[in-house]
Amino acid sequence: MDFWIQFGRGPLFALAFSLMVLGLARIVLLTLVGIVEAYRKSWDRIVNWKEVRRQTFHWLFPVGRLWRSRPVYSTLSMLFHVGLLLVPLFAAAHVLLWRRSVGFAWKAMPQTPTDVLTIIVLVAGTGLLLGRATSAAARSISRPQEYFWPVLLLIPFATGFACSHAALSAKTYQALMLLHVYAAALILVLIPFTKIAHCVLTPLSQIVTAVAWKFPPGAGDRVAATLGYADCPSWLPKARLTKAGHVPAPATGSTTTARQEIPLAKQEVTAQ
Amino acid sequence: MQPISAEQREKAFAGSKKAEVIERQRLPVRYHVEDFQVEDRPRRFLEAFAAILKHTNYRVALDHYIRISAKCARCSVACQVYEATGDAHDVPCYRSELLLSVYRRHFTMSGVLRGRLLGDPGLTDEKVQEMAASYYDCTACRRCHFECPMGVDHALITHLSRYILSEIGIAPRALVVSTREQLIGKSGNTSAVPVPALLDSLEFLSEEMKEQLGIDIPFPVDQEGAEYLFLPAVSDYIMEADTLMGNAAVFRATGDSWTIGTGYFDGINYGLFYSDQVLEHVLEKIRAEAGRLKVKKLLMGECGHASRVAKYFYPAFCGGRSAIPVLNIMEYTHQAWKQGRLKLKAGTITETVTYHDPCNIARPGWIVQQPRELLKAFCSNFVEMTPNGRNNICCGGGSGTVSIDEIRPYRTTVGGRAKAEQIRATGAKYCVAPCANCKKQLRELVEDNQIDCQIVGLHDLLYKAIIFD
Repeated sequence: MDFWIQFGRGPLFALAFSLMVLGLARIVLLTLVGIVEAYRKSWDRIVNWKEVRRQTFHWLFPVGRLWRSRPVYSTLSMLFHVGLLLVPLFAAAHVLLWRRSVGFAWKAMPQTPTDVLTIIVLVAGTGLLLGRATSAAARSISRPQEYFWPVLLLIPFATGFACSHAALSAKTYQALMLLHVYAAALILVLIPFTKIAHCVLTPLSQIVTAVAWKFPPGAGDRVAATLGYADCPSWLPKARLTKAGHVPAPATGSTTTARQEIPLAKQEVTAQ
Repeated sequence: MQPISAEQREKAFAGSKKAEVIERQRLPVRYHVEDFQVEDRPRRFLEAFAAILKHTNYRVALDHYIRISAKCARCSVACQVYEATGDAHDVPCYRSELLLSVYRRHFTMSGVLRGRLLGDPGLTDEKVQEMAASYYDCTACRRCHFECPMGVDHALITHLSRYILSEIGIAPRALVVSTREQLIGKSGNTSAVPVPALLDSLEFLSEEMKEQLGIDIPFPVDQEGAEYLFLPAVSDYIMEADTLMGNAAVFRATGDSWTIGTGYFDGINYGLFYSDQVLEHVLEKIRAEAGRLKVKKLLMGECGHASRVAKYFYPAFCGGRSAIPVLNIMEYTHQAWKQGRLKLKAGTITETVTYHDPCNIARPGWIVQQPRELLKAFCSNFVEMTPNGRNNICCGGGSGTVSIDEIRPYRTTVGGRAKAEQIRATGAKYCVAPCANCKKQLRELVEDNQIDCQIVGLHDLLYKAIIFD
């Protein structure tokens, strides 16, 4: 078992961490390219930077906003995030491992605040899970990953807490440590491919929305042309029907139509 | 607040459409739709979606939103529709997910692969029907955008979804018919007002003001080289005489040159509500008229969406940074008052007055304080609604739904319920709603909810307070 723990802490961690960094770098880069492309496509280069900055910073440090909606859930969520960021980065054992492997590291957090933060994460995380499960609105929009993530995130915290207190893990230390290391590796690998990618994408949200509202000139006409309706815009739906030589069919029981019966919009035009 | 009662629900959701129409069109929506091709809608939806993604800027937002959306449900608290129905399908994030899931499934590599592996058939006709209904329940007021920690703009998704739907023939008849008249009709505006009728009503208004105030207040028409081209919602010429008289009186007091163009005089642009193509073509009409009359600025009347469209989309389609500036009439009046060119008599209105922020101009923080400062200058009893300003609640008829007369019970029971309670709580005699859209909705709202409050425009009241030199 020692081998597998060492493997998990060493090469596996390095691999998982690299994958996470590369994955996150990829989506940040893609988003930035998307923003620049969108910005260039429109003639409108007027962006309210002040507003973008204001909204972005408000959501990065959302203390003042929590009370407006779902206050308990939101406060739990913020506490959860604080612990989630600080504990893995500043836990003494993590800093030590980091120093041993790469030769440098930062100052570690003392044991007591680490413990307090860990307990906060555990309590808040459980609260978030319950908050989601008990709210009809939240349940209606939850996918399986919404329930899976808090549970997965809590595993390394619970096991890490136990492992750092000999009284809690006198006999099970190795098993818990194994779970701790592998769960963490799994989390790191999954981050770029799931909603946890918001850890790097959130600062870009406001600017993404701002440029998405910048419409490129002529786009509407080009869309109609691509669909084969260059001279039949959507405010002339009847003309589109005549053009396709198609009259609305009377209601029938069948909801499916064979694919070949109605040609692609594009082909309709070329065929004429 | 508790959701609406079963009785109210029945009233709100009672459709006025014939069952045979719903069956023929295979579209269980409350608004009327012109007959169009029903077959193969999912495929045509995806084609339209693909074409739109190819030519527009939505892709960057969709990519971002599918990665980032954390489904925290904070938006549910900000939505007046969800608050009224309590139906999980009205949570903004749920609504957006309808389209985002189509995007994920059909336009991302992982979605396509997963679909193939799991044998997921993808977009179905039922889902198209659900989207057609759902995206017209949303009033695109953007209030939920402020509550989203991830910065998802659900109104952008609503706008895009309606655009895609309109390309496959699903758009409210009320909007399509008006747009058709505006873009290719004889009158060239949404209310089909012919130029002679416009001139008649302007003349009538001038005479009316002469009678009331004893001074000549003209409505300049086709004045080349004027400073401002005035573009109110065209319906104002028919329904909002008081607002127009107030507008003209302000110009009489300041002495600035302004004009109404007979070539084009409609600020309304339903493109914001359902089609980027309409949006652009209507703005082009404005540009042509501004060019013909060589005006220096566009001045939008008391209309929220018209002002937002001109302010935030005119540059995009009509010359970028070199496009002529756009002002709202309230901005103009406020500036003139600040500069001392317009004098208002304090205490003219003694009854309780409250102010409703139209979403389209208040949400971006553009026009929030100006009308309040003006109102406080001549109303002795001004009260605020809560919440107000940028965080106001939608009137319930936003994003063009107010033009859809057949859904009035829905608008006044569900969409406008929160607003009705707000107005009732102020106990105001006048509710100032400087937006043609909000005015119509709020009038129906106070009528259907038996609230004793008169809905007016800002300039309706201001007209009474102007001191002429």
